[in-house]
Amino acid sequence: MTEGTLFLVTFILYIAAALTYFASLFTRKDKLGRIGYGIVIGGLIIHTAALLLRTFESGHAPFTNMYESLSFLAWSGVLAWVIIDGKFKIHKPGPYVLLIVIALMALASSPLMPKEATPLVPALQSYWLWLHVSVTMLGEAFFAVAFVTSIMYLFASTKEKKGAASSTSISADRLDSISYRCVAIGFPLFTLGGLVFGMIWAYRAWGSYWSWDPKEVWSLITWFVFALYLHTRLVMGWKGKRSAVIAIIGFLAALFTYFGVNYLLSGLHSYA
Amino acid sequence: MKSFIRFFSSVKLAIVLLIIITLASILGTLIPQHRSPAEYAANYGQLSGLLMRLEVTKLYSSWWYLALLFMFALNTIVCTLTRLLLKIKKVFRPAFDYSEKSLRSLNNTAGFSLDGSMKTLEGRIALALKWERFRVRSSKGDGRLLLRGTRKSLGHFGSDFVHLGLLVILAGGIISGFAGFRTTLQISEGQVLAVPTADFSLRLDKFTTEYYENGSVSDWKSDLTVIDDGEEALKKTIEVNFPLSYKGYVFYQSSYGWDWNHPSVELVMKKTLPVEAEETILLRIGEKAVFDNGDLEVHALQFVPDFILNDQNEVTTRSLQPNNPAVYIKAFRSGNEVFNGWLFSKFPDFARMHSRDEGDLNFSFSRYEAGQYSGIQMAHDPGVNWIWFGCALLMLGLCVAFYWPPREVRFILNEEKDRVLLTVGGIASKNKDTFKKEFDRLVESIRRQP
Ligand code: HEM
Repeated sequence: MTEGTLFLVTFILYIAAALTYFASLFTRKDKLGRIGYGIVIGGLIIHTAALLLRTFESGHAPFTNMYESLSFLAWSGVLAWVIIDGKFKIHKPGPYVLLIVIALMALASSPLMPKEATPLVPALQSYWLWLHVSVTMLGEAFFAVAFVTSIMYLFASTKEKKGAASSTSISADRLDSISYRCVAIGFPLFTLGGLVFGMIWAYRAWGSYWSWDPKEVWSLITWFVFALYLHTRLVMGWKGKRSAVIAIIGFLAALFTYFGVNYLLSGLHSYA
Repeated sequence: MKSFIRFFSSVKLAIVLLIIITLASILGTLIPQHRSPAEYAANYGQLSGLLMRLEVTKLYSSWWYLALLFMFALNTIVCTLTRLLLKIKKVFRPAFDYSEKSLRSLNNTAGFSLDGSMKTLEGRIALALKWERFRVRSSKGDGRLLLRGTRKSLGHFGSDFVHLGLLVILAGGIISGFAGFRTTLQISEGQVLAVPTADFSLRLDKFTTEYYENGSVSDWKSDLTVIDDGEEALKKTIEVNFPLSYKGYVFYQSSYGWDWNHPSVELVMKKTLPVEAEETILLRIGEKAVFDNGDLEVHALQFVPDFILNDQNEVTTRSLQPNNPAVYIKAFRSGNEVFNGWLFSKFPDFARMHSRDEGDLNFSFSRYEAGQYSGIQMAHDPGVNWIWFGCALLMLGLCVAFYWPPREVRFILNEEKDRVLLTVGGIASKNKDTFKKEFDRLVESIRRQP
């Protein structure tokens, strides 16, 4: 088995899981949702194997070019989803989360992404790279789930206002509280990985823990947006619509930190 | 003073400041920072003057950005302190001022009556609470007994640790800004360099570049010796990501380069007079080589690593990389100049075209050698330990705030003939679903007769 084959199998399983989840959404059969969850776990296991194989073959962390990094982000997204679905037993956001994951996998496998493992430039040879990138991405993955549940909240709450909510669909309140729980997990992870480990690594590699590089600033911006989310919610009692909008903005900021900064702005973080 | 405190203790102010700081930070990533005025003029035209006057071109050290951060810090201090005092009082010396009505309006509530005296029931409840790791306090008054159990009270203070950590980080940043010192040192093999602002020196014993099989650089390594008070105090090989620390100074491998001031060059000379011969000449720049019993002299006068002609048609170097190494030589026979020109190691045929006249001499530039120096980034940053301490507080606070949820249960016991009427209420601001189960279990264990 090569890493490429494992990647392909993973890709197919995620698509199958998304379709099963969608089927459960339309047929309203909870059993299909559970099957979808099972398929996702299968995909996650094979994906993990693919990443491990890549790590052993290249001898370095599996997120040093765009292909690896996208694949790892997709993996984190699935892991976050498996945890959330396992804990709250809500299959409904599943297909949408998987849609994001599938988009990341498709982007990773597009011919534009160089796939061969290249040797690391000296600055990247550090275990802080592992910690920095993996923990940050895991945090972002929980923001991604919060993004999906927040969008679903916006739809569900307008529907409920019209009095059209059916008994089988997930209530807006529950979506709101799940969004919060995702942020409550994602925020400490993002703080630890994105800011603390990032500063430690920068200090070890460049002798300066903070240099106002665009990627650093955008991480800070993302962090501020979620700090805003927490304070408006916990101190000022905002809930529902306004909270959902902030969570959505927060994830978009994280997304921009990840993609936009590399392609639109210039800075030290020239690699993924 | 009162209105000052009221203003800075407001969370609304924090929200507004957060939004403004976020927007300002975005602006700083859209407009390139710390470029030359000419570059701004070219990119922003009329606007560039305004941008520079508003310090948008060095936004993160502009007075107004720093003022925003300062206000944010003040806001955090005042807001945290004013609430902290109230919180400490509430947690450590809680008032027993609740009523049956207020307990019944809570999300988790129960009311029932049990056989037994107040005394035995108090003992039973306290036991059940302690079993569930609650801390118990009670108060008696006008025929009623009030009991209060609290758990994980530290959880109330998570946000305070977070805010304190944030302030420590900001303070560390200020210390770094004022007392931090950073510069790049260039040091060649064998050289001893006095470290700026410090009272010790650094010697480079050996510098090596390691390559991957495909030829790209895998690592740079410098064998360094710290010389303090005339003695070798510390020896260490540094490489990228593995710096050397000594007396609060840290030395990072950051780059490398060649020492182009004293390179040596190897030339191949073909001559036809007096007899056909080929000579290999090894020279340092500034030196000369002599042949034919002193009749023929070859001088190496100048070297550039990356030859280019500037606008005035003068020779300069485009970079410090050996992209196009060139050496300028002259040759004299019996005191008369017979050759004068640039030789290129990458373009061996170029020399002839540039020599003044076709003589019997023909030179090519076969090799050059220059010592390498190691580029070492040096940092002396007394703020950095504050940063790590602040980060630790911040992370500790986040864990406490999100994963150590405080719980409280309140009881009111009223004696009624030979039964006791109980009203129970449970309060949890976080993880309410799990608390609901805990609360129900607790109430059930009290309700069940032993
Ligand atoms: C980016 C900076 C900040 C961060 C990361 C931050 C973080 C936090 C966190 C994690 C919590 C705990 C939330 C919880 O209990 O679940 C919190 C609570 C709180 N924050 Fe902040 N904070 C920041 C700035 C501020 C500022 C400037 C103020 C000043 C007004 C403030 C006021 C509060 C208040 C009043 C609470 C509720 C505290 C309580 O009663 O327990 N925060 N903050």
